[in-house]
Amino acid sequence: MKLYLAIMLLLPLAGGLTSALAGRLLPRRLLEFLICATVWGGFVCAALAAASYTAPLTVNLAPWITAFDLGAPLSLYLDPLSLSLAVMVTFVCGLIHIYSVFYMAEEGDYPRFFALLNLFVFAMLTLLLAENLPLLYLGWEGVGFCSYLLIGFWYQDKANADAGRKAFITTRIGDTALVIGIAWLFQLFGTFSMVQLNGMAFLIPGGVVTAIGVLFLIGAMGKSAQVPLQVWLPDAMAGPTPVSAMIHAATMVTAGVYLLARMFPFFGGSAVVTSAIAVTGGITAFYGASCAVAQRDLKRVLAFSTISQIGYMMLGVGAGAITAATFHLLVHAFFKALLFLGAGCVITAMHHEQDIFKMGGLRRSLPVTFWCFLAGSACLAGIPLTGGFFSKDSIIGALWLKGVPLYQALYVLALITALLTSFYSFRLVYLVFGGETNAHIHGSRELKVMELVLVPLALLGLCGGVLDLPGYLGGGFLGHFFANLAGGKAAEAPQATEIVLQAIAGALALAGLAAAHVAFSGKARAKRIAEADNPSALTSFLFHAWHFDDLYRLLFIRPYAALSGFLWQRMDEGVIDDSLDRLAQGVGATGTWFGRWTAGRISLYIVSFAAGGAAILGYLAWVTLS
Amino acid sequence: MSIPLEHVIILASLLFAMGLGCTVAWRSNVIMMLIGIEIMLNAVMLVFVGASARWGVADGQLFALLIMALTSAEVSLALAMVVYLHRRKKTVNTDVFDSMKG
Amino acid sequence: METIVFYILAAVTLVGTVLAITARQGVHAIVYLVTSFFALALIFYLLGAPMVASFEVIIYAGAIMVLFLFVIMMLDLGKPEKIQTPKLYDWCPAILLLVVITGSMGVLASRAATPLNAFAGISVQEFSFTLFKRYGAAIEIISMQLLFALVGALYLGRRR
Repeated sequence: MKLYLAIMLLLPLAGGLTSALAGRLLPRRLLEFLICATVWGGFVCAALAAASYTAPLTVNLAPWITAFDLGAPLSLYLDPLSLSLAVMVTFVCGLIHIYSVFYMAEEGDYPRFFALLNLFVFAMLTLLLAENLPLLYLGWEGVGFCSYLLIGFWYQDKANADAGRKAFITTRIGDTALVIGIAWLFQLFGTFSMVQLNGMAFLIPGGVVTAIGVLFLIGAMGKSAQVPLQVWLPDAMAGPTPVSAMIHAATMVTAGVYLLARMFPFFGGSAVVTSAIAVTGGITAFYGASCAVAQRDLKRVLAFSTISQIGYMMLGVGAGAITAATFHLLVHAFFKALLFLGAGCVITAMHHEQDIFKMGGLRRSLPVTFWCFLAGSACLAGIPLTGGFFSKDSIIGALWLKGVPLYQALYVLALITALLTSFYSFRLVYLVFGGETNAHIHGSRELKVMELVLVPLALLGLCGGVLDLPGYLGGGFLGHFFANLAGGKAAEAPQATEIVLQAIAGALALAGLAAAHVAFSGKARAKRIAEADNPSALTSFLFHAWHFDDLYRLLFIRPYAALSGFLWQRMDEGVIDDSLDRLAQGVGATGTWFGRWTAGRISLYIVSFAAGGAAILGYLAWVTLS
Repeated sequence: MSIPLEHVIILASLLFAMGLGCTVAWRSNVIMMLIGIEIMLNAVMLVFVGASARWGVADGQLFALLIMALTSAEVSLALAMVVYLHRRKKTVNTDVFDSMKG
Repeated sequence: METIVFYILAAVTLVGTVLAITARQGVHAIVYLVTSFFALALIFYLLGAPMVASFEVIIYAGAIMVLFLFVIMMLDLGKPEKIQTPKLYDWCPAILLLVVITGSMGVLASRAATPLNAFAGISVQEFSFTLFKRYGAAIEIISMQLLFALVGALYLGRRR
């Protein structure tokens, strides 16, 4: 087991370092094979670890930080949560690696790209498998760093570099809260081990647990793009599409959910923290869905849908349904990667056009992409019997079963969000694939391969439900697997209640589909496209993502820029530089003035010399007299 | 021998001051400046000799002798330089020679 | 007796020097200065330094002043009147310096006017003994300096 875990971590690291250091020297085909092989090797190791898994275990690889009583060894922890996520991450990343080999076929700077992809996988696995908080934080920052570099991969374009910086700085706010939380925990307990910490929450007052839980929640907000730190994710679409698929949809953004799920036993007892998580998730889910309705950019629609779906996961964690949240996390990873990769195919075929109002008719020219994208949209919308339906419903059901007014309000919000989700998913399908062809399709051999990658993801997304079927269909695999996990045991509902809840959710999803059909199919589609250039106030408000960016610009960036300008022009240039300049000028003027003394006339020198001697003599006489 | 050392020193300082005054005032004639320097050196010799008499040791007189040797060397070089400079600029006015100006 | 002679000689020295530094012509200045130096040589003798006194006459009044005379004559400065003499304005700093220096030295020296000890002077033998026994290195250095001065004077004086 130790061997599997070590190899799983070391393979992507080795691949990334090879690509970074020697990428230029190797033949391109060999390098491409190598970086895919490392990730698939990681997947094989993960699968073998899963096959031989019996009980949670801690694996100590090596000492890392050791100073006085501060100890953070390189130790890994394997339990159902980390194991299932590790399998998912290596599998999805493996597919995306193959996809990106073809997607980036014309990119000249490929070693940098592949190195960052592999390093990202390494950091993500470190995050997942870490047993102690500093190691988790190493992975946490590692994925953030790779994400920053990959968003700004085409850094010659200032907008892309700015998007990278925005992502980095926004997540930094959350990271700071997380570091404070970690340090506080160490100060209280003297240990970093998450396994130990999770069992010690009862030792400290509830208020402290709440405070630490809120700090961790802020950290998760930054990484998982939750309101109010969500502004970076839509802009992060500036990166290459495989990166968006891999980092900003399937894996990295779920790290916040993973952290909260991992530490859930610690602060699960604090109602304030779980409520805060649930409220954050509910608001974010609704916010993301409402914004996605009005977006024009294909990738931004998907980005907002990601925000919304992660909000669902947070809702699940907040409701104490860790199994449901993880279930949705896994299924979401499949169908969201599918949607992004499909979008990548569409964008490639459309010559890098991303405006969905300028697309259309692709169902005939890209049939494979169309069917896979449709499957992904169905999952996203939660059409009954798809994977997304079961996973989302288990979260919504868990909310209802809490039986508390707050959670019931969130339940209603989640249902409205589900309706919106279904609507915008099919709006996307109708706009992109419906209507008549109005663009020349750029077909190529690479595109064919890229389409093939979509198929396994589509199958997994559609059939993802079998991972954890509801009780009346025979119960699920994940539920048994997670049964021993703290918070893993969801409240059992009577079968009748469960069927009614699922029927409500399924009906809403179908209603959204119907609404999208009415609004965007056939002749109505052309009308909507004509309307798109004159958006109503509400549409504009949603298109600008509730003007969050403008709000932050007004609240933080403007005052900060003004303060910086003041410090720069008034303080630095006005006071410090100016005083130095004045001083230098004064010294220079004094020097010039004294310089006139060196007139070159010996008589003057003699007089000066004699005056000096006379002064010394006078001083001596004065000293002697007094 | 009842001359007070203080009086010798006062005489020497008067001589020295006159030599210095000569050097300072006669900037129009470098030879007069050199004469001023000679007067100053003589004043110093007088102090040495007076001190030698005061404490009854020969060292002071000896230094007077050394000063004399030094002066002869200095005067020979300085006068050679005066001749050289006069040959170049046809003047002995020191203010004309200002090539040391910074 | 000696004291009176000393004061007379001191007066001669001072007057000679004042006349020398205010003389209009270089030659006059040299002659006044020689007078002054003769008086100074006698003072040296009074202070028990016959060797220094004789060297003062031989080297200073004899050789160095003659060297000055030679140079003044050699330079052929045309009419000596053409050389501008210091104005009263030029003497101002000199007089100021004179007041400061003599005042200071007077203050420093007049603390306690003690007569010199009775003493018979230093014999030539004793003088020479000190010179060559204790200050042999100084003699060498001075002689080398004279050699350098000779070379330098030759270099500066050659015609190009």
